[in-house]
Amino acid sequence: MTPARPLIDEGRASQADRMLTIQDLHVFHGPIEAVHGISLNVERGKCISLLGPNGAGKTSTISAITGIARATGSIRFEDREISADSVEARIASGIAVSPEGRRIFSNLTILENLTLGAALQRDQAEKGRDIDHWFSLFPILAERRDQAAGTLSGGEQQMLAIARALMARPKILLLDEPSLGLAPKIVRQIFDLIGTLKDKGMTILLVEQNATQALKLADYAYLMSSGRIVAHGTADELGKSDKLMAELTGVA
Amino acid sequence: MIRLSQSQRSGLVGAALLAAVLVVIGVATLYFGSRYQIRLVYSAYVNLIVVLGLQVFMGNARITNLSHSAFMGIGAYAAALCVTPENIKKISLPAAPWGLADFSLDPVLSAAIAIVITAVLAFLLGLFIVRLTSIGATIVTLAVLVIVHAVFLYRTDIFKGNQAFFGIPQVFDLGWVVGIAILAVVVCRLFRESRWGIQLRASADDEVGAAAMGVQIYKLRLIAWVLGAVILAVAGICYAYFLGTISARPFYFNHVFLTLAMLILGGMRTVTGAVLGTFLISFGLEGVRYLETGPVLLGIDLPEALGLSGIALGAVIVLTMALRPTGIMGNREIETLFVRKTF
Repeated sequence: MTPARPLIDEGRASQADRMLTIQDLHVFHGPIEAVHGISLNVERGKCISLLGPNGAGKTSTISAITGIARATGSIRFEDREISADSVEARIASGIAVSPEGRRIFSNLTILENLTLGAALQRDQAEKGRDIDHWFSLFPILAERRDQAAGTLSGGEQQMLAIARALMARPKILLLDEPSLGLAPKIVRQIFDLIGTLKDKGMTILLVEQNATQALKLADYAYLMSSGRIVAHGTADELGKSDKLMAELTGVA
Repeated sequence: MIRLSQSQRSGLVGAALLAAVLVVIGVATLYFGSRYQIRLVYSAYVNLIVVLGLQVFMGNARITNLSHSAFMGIGAYAAALCVTPENIKKISLPAAPWGLADFSLDPVLSAAIAIVITAVLAFLLGLFIVRLTSIGATIVTLAVLVIVHAVFLYRTDIFKGNQAFFGIPQVFDLGWVVGIAILAVVVCRLFRESRWGIQLRASADDEVGAAAMGVQIYKLRLIAWVLGAVILAVAGICYAYFLGTISARPFYFNHVFLTLAMLILGGMRTVTGAVLGTFLISFGLEGVRYLETGPVLLGIDLPEALGLSGIALGAVIVLTMALRPTGIMGNREIETLFVRKTF
């Protein structure tokens, strides 16, 4: 176990509010280091956004948090070091992800996709209640519950990916580029949905290239480039530092 | 008590529908069939159990397995070695090592031993196979088929090779195999709709995505592989307990090819597909065999066409792969045909 080390952003949050704390995280894909020692905080009930262009290391960071990429450094979740835990153990402790590119299982039905999100929920009755709950929130999915998920549109697939992550009853929801490849109207729908989840008290780490939309939702944001965090601040602060934003994400 | 999930409950509905079909075919044959037809239908049911055993692994993990007939053979020979009376073994296996000819057990115990032996062998082999990519795994299963066949063929002191291993008590009739086939259908459906089955099918769709959801792919593949081998052993036992004689040849390429065609035609992803494909090919082949003899049809004297059944099987595989690669059923199980179409 790593002893509590001084955190960056001192004074931003009290220790109790910190849900996810990452310190000096290096992420590797084979021999290549994709993330070069980043630190960030996610506080309970907040929406934190991780912005940056392609190849900045955002998805690598998410993969390290979920445990599917090799990483060094400290990942603390609810005051417990989890960097040695298995993927399953991390899901069990309350981390769920809607991965980049959605990765829904196209030959499985919508119902089966949702069931997969609750792999650790052994109580069938509870699982059934959760499924009913999310179906009531996503009526379009309920209508097609026995249909192969591959037949859904991109926006519907994204909704399914989010609902599937929520089936694990997570304490923190990691959303990796939920707007990727979707029409502007659908992107607004997806961000409305994320806003609803936030209002209900869900802690969210939102990875996005679409900085304009993400900053509308986020309480705090980190800007990544080439595997490093190059700027961070509240959404307002970061939104106003337009020079950097323009350079990295094309938002003037 | 095991609580069944929503999908497992609808799986049981599907299994019940399939069971009804199996009972009807079985009862009709029993009352109206000739001896030859009863034998034919019995072998169709044995092949059905084989195809179901194949479906558990191949359909859920979507890795092509070519060693299934070998596992069926292991089950058949292991049961035969245990159950055959000592006096017969003394004559047919005079050189049997390890005292194999010096004991005989009752059919139930023999079957249990055969299932355990097959499961243990499958488990040890499975430890390697589940870690391979799909093409690698398929090639290894092919090698396993050849190796097991070579052992059956050349350890004549135990297996009698190409000669008949005779004297197995004929304790099964058509009723038995129908009951066992129904049990296999239920097991396959419950597995397919279980948490494990859904996770395994997800990993076949997207291995990386499934791993990110915490799916332990190797473990699940191994479970399906061993469960499949157990069902295959049961098929082998049904075969031996009905015919009373076995030899190495039925557990080789021809049988692999036949059962593979059945699964591919019906659709490997569903249990319904396995049942449908088995019956279509079993009965279809009888028609083809009739044509092979060069009958007079509609006043036309057809020429003798030996080998037509082999060509027909190949054609079924090629046409299915070309026109409908997921088989007749695709992703749909029988009960979904009766609910409102949402497509």
